[in-house]
Amino acid sequence: MNAHDRRSRENRSPRSGTVRLLATVLTLAAVVPAPSALAPQRASAADGDKVLTVAVAQSVDSLSPFLASRLVSTSIHRLMYEYLTNYDPKDAHPVPALATKWTPSADKLTWTYTIRSDSTWSDGRRTTAEDAAWTFNKMMTDEGAATANGSYVGNFEKVTAPSPTRLVIELKKPQATMAALDVPIVPKHIWEKVGDFSDFNNDKSFPVVGNGPFVLTDYKADSYVRLKANKNFWRGAPKFDELVFRYYKDQDAAVAALRKGEVSFVAGAPALTPAQAQSLKGVKNIRVNEAPGRRFYALAVNPGAKAANGEKFGDGHPSLLDERVRHALFTAVDRTTLIDRVFQGHAVEGEGYIPPRFSTYFWKPSASQKLAYDPAKAAQLLDQAGYRKNGDGKRVGKDGKPITYRILCHATDPNDKAVGQYLQEWWSDLGIGVQLDCLDNVSDPWLAGTYDLAFDGWSVNPDPDFVLSIHTCGALPATPKDVGATDNFICDKKYDDLYARQLAEYDPAERANIVKQMESRLYDLGYMNVMAYPNAVEAYRTDQIKSITTMPEKAGNIYGQDGYWSWWSAVPASADSSSDDSGSTGVIAGTVGGLAVVLGAVVFFVMRRRAGAEDRE
Amino acid sequence: MTAETTPPAARAPAGPRQLARQRRRASLVRFWNRYRSHRAGLLGLALLALFALAALTAPLTVGPDVASVTEAPGRPMESPSGDFPLGTDRFGRDLLGLLIWGTRVSLLIGLLAALLSVVIGALVGITAGHFRGVYDTVMMRVTDWFLVMPTLVLAIALATVMSRSLGTIVLAIGVTSWPTTARLVRAQTLAVESRPYIERAKALGGGHRHVMSRHVLPNVMPLVLAQATLIISSSILAEATLAFLGLGDPTVVSWGGLLQEAREAGAVSSGDWWYLVPPGIAIAVVALAFTLCGRAVESVLNPRLGVAR
Repeated sequence: MNAHDRRSRENRSPRSGTVRLLATVLTLAAVVPAPSALAPQRASAADGDKVLTVAVAQSVDSLSPFLASRLVSTSIHRLMYEYLTNYDPKDAHPVPALATKWTPSADKLTWTYTIRSDSTWSDGRRTTAEDAAWTFNKMMTDEGAATANGSYVGNFEKVTAPSPTRLVIELKKPQATMAALDVPIVPKHIWEKVGDFSDFNNDKSFPVVGNGPFVLTDYKADSYVRLKANKNFWRGAPKFDELVFRYYKDQDAAVAALRKGEVSFVAGAPALTPAQAQSLKGVKNIRVNEAPGRRFYALAVNPGAKAANGEKFGDGHPSLLDERVRHALFTAVDRTTLIDRVFQGHAVEGEGYIPPRFSTYFWKPSASQKLAYDPAKAAQLLDQAGYRKNGDGKRVGKDGKPITYRILCHATDPNDKAVGQYLQEWWSDLGIGVQLDCLDNVSDPWLAGTYDLAFDGWSVNPDPDFVLSIHTCGALPATPKDVGATDNFICDKKYDDLYARQLAEYDPAERANIVKQMESRLYDLGYMNVMAYPNAVEAYRTDQIKSITTMPEKAGNIYGQDGYWSWWSAVPASADSSSDDSGSTGVIAGTVGGLAVVLGAVVFFVMRRRAGAEDRE
Repeated sequence: MTAETTPPAARAPAGPRQLARQRRRASLVRFWNRYRSHRAGLLGLALLALFALAALTAPLTVGPDVASVTEAPGRPMESPSGDFPLGTDRFGRDLLGLLIWGTRVSLLIGLLAALLSVVIGALVGITAGHFRGVYDTVMMRVTDWFLVMPTLVLAIALATVMSRSLGTIVLAIGVTSWPTTARLVRAQTLAVESRPYIERAKALGGGHRHVMSRHVLPNVMPLVLAQATLIISSSILAEATLAFLGLGDPTVVSWGGLLQEAREAGAVSSGDWWYLVPPGIAIAVVALAFTLCGRAVESVLNPRLGVAR
């Protein structure tokens, strides 16, 4: 799956405070066997299994690989299903996974993949090329199955499996992403029974048959996702026996759980706050891992929402259709201050669309092209565009009313609110009002186009095709009622031409060159203004996880990698030390709790008896 | 302070208007004398005066610039020091200044929400008690419905569907906390309306409006006032709760909003107490002050509560 999180609006899930948290805790207590009720996380440690617990906050959108697009879901799919290829953890070049080899024909229109013969489904059947062919054919023929990854097969002519180890894909046009098809391959014998793919969430019967390093054994929405190690995994069995993603909707609670050793890893949503990272740095047995992020953090502009059939909808402010206005707004955003104050150095200033971590595709504007912070110039641009100040110092639109922009922000993301406050003050100096609409669910106004500006963010894959594709005209929804793959309704002819060219370009250097031109075009359009590339800030317990692979290996992140490397490679710390002290805490807690209950019961009965005696008298 | 208390002996024959004024002044004095005997009530009043003073003079002492993020004087999350007695927030703003500035919003919302709640409650209560019959039954069932609904849940639902602004919060608290007042006022209205002088007023041609506004309202007013004081404290708490749950306007500085920001910035797990404790204490103290005043007023007005006089 290419987009590791589709639109940041879907990527961050509502955080609903203590009630939900309490419910989660209670549910967990109910789920784990009896003696562990006081210390649920120790349940499996008791029977000798090594459990890796990861605190997450983002809700799963769907466990069906045909529908899922959020980071947490696609990360889980990486663990459940093998893809044709994987990315090398060192430098992210494509490496063999389910396919051991892939070769194009001379005209590059027919690709032949050799499927490995040592991969089996968890129900014992062998994984064959037929499974892969079926998966792709399903996505090509069934609209519902193309929801998440349809962009990969749009260009496919025919997919066949002449033998169990040979997969042949014929293309209509050349496609540069053939070694980076991020599509989970599912078992045909299970999935051909599914009726409606747009409605099937793959979360009813467990364990779910898969062939990845882990097998999904249990899932409860917003409570936990439980996976068991696949001992027959062809690359070798994972070192941990069980992997549990446990929900902490409150990040501070997750950090507290990490301090107590109840969870082994906290990813943060999307990252630990500077204060949390700072406070965890000195703590014994906890390592804070900070890496250049895969995400960009941007200010998206509503370019006038429209559907593929030409129908316009939504109510974006008309003044934003003027490029000078968009440039003026962004010119009045001081990115250095945002990095310094809001991210406190845990981010890099935004330049082009793709983060510097992907150096092949990273592009930055030249000094003359750059919209550097310059409030005076911003005011000048607005004057030129004809939006002048009235008597009250407010700029008025063409309709004669003072301009106030609605900014869509995620109520669950503190950074959105913080940056929003800065924007409010910077833009009010320009004479432009800001109304910060912080919502738990930003999807509805977003899809309806009823916003002016919005905070946006995507994780970028080593192959940037997907994040580029979401700004093409082809990604627009078919009608205003449909949901398209589009991010914020950008549709630009010049950009689209470049997109088609890069997709058909097999020469890596030339392709990178075209991608950079696309980024340049996107920058000039001013509909997608990247403010920062936030770092991944995460923390784990070294007394539970001895070692874990980061990606890239040097200064890389752990959660949300392009691949299953981190959880597959994680080595448990020596069982004795960790289970010892934790076990004893559990025992102590259990004993104290038990004593309290007994004491309470005794007091209660004594009181009752005494009351009874008085009644008798 | 009730309307039918006998006026003190007038020195000279006075007009009815002047008579009424004298009577009112006398009952106020009597009220104050009785109120003075409640030490807790006085303490509450003193605390309130302090907070009101802080809120009203805030534009002079700290100024609106204290809430500006672009002109924040310090580094983010500084611990308390000479420059910043309570440290700084995540933007580097002075927390003491924000605390004082936040008093304005918290008190304002508390007062407005209580006002709205009491107005709705009094209106429903008086009309229900006055008209009786089907109207009464319907209104009281509606009241019952609001009474059994968990206030916070209803307020959260309202605040979620409406846009995030101060008005929304006021509305959400106001429309969810009126049923108790309505019940109380209705009971008092029934008691007042059964008195003979109401019948006389009616016989003299007093219409519904006259009876309700000239006779019933002045008699339920003390009750409403006592109720209002008590509702303010719960409104302030409700405002803080809603803001803490992230349902407030993030660009407005309030105590609950400060707590919410502290939580989001990770102040709880990193132990930055100066970010969390002061707004928490402020909320608690103001709510306590209003409760103390409310209880004192209540016991002055209702001798049956059995507080020593």
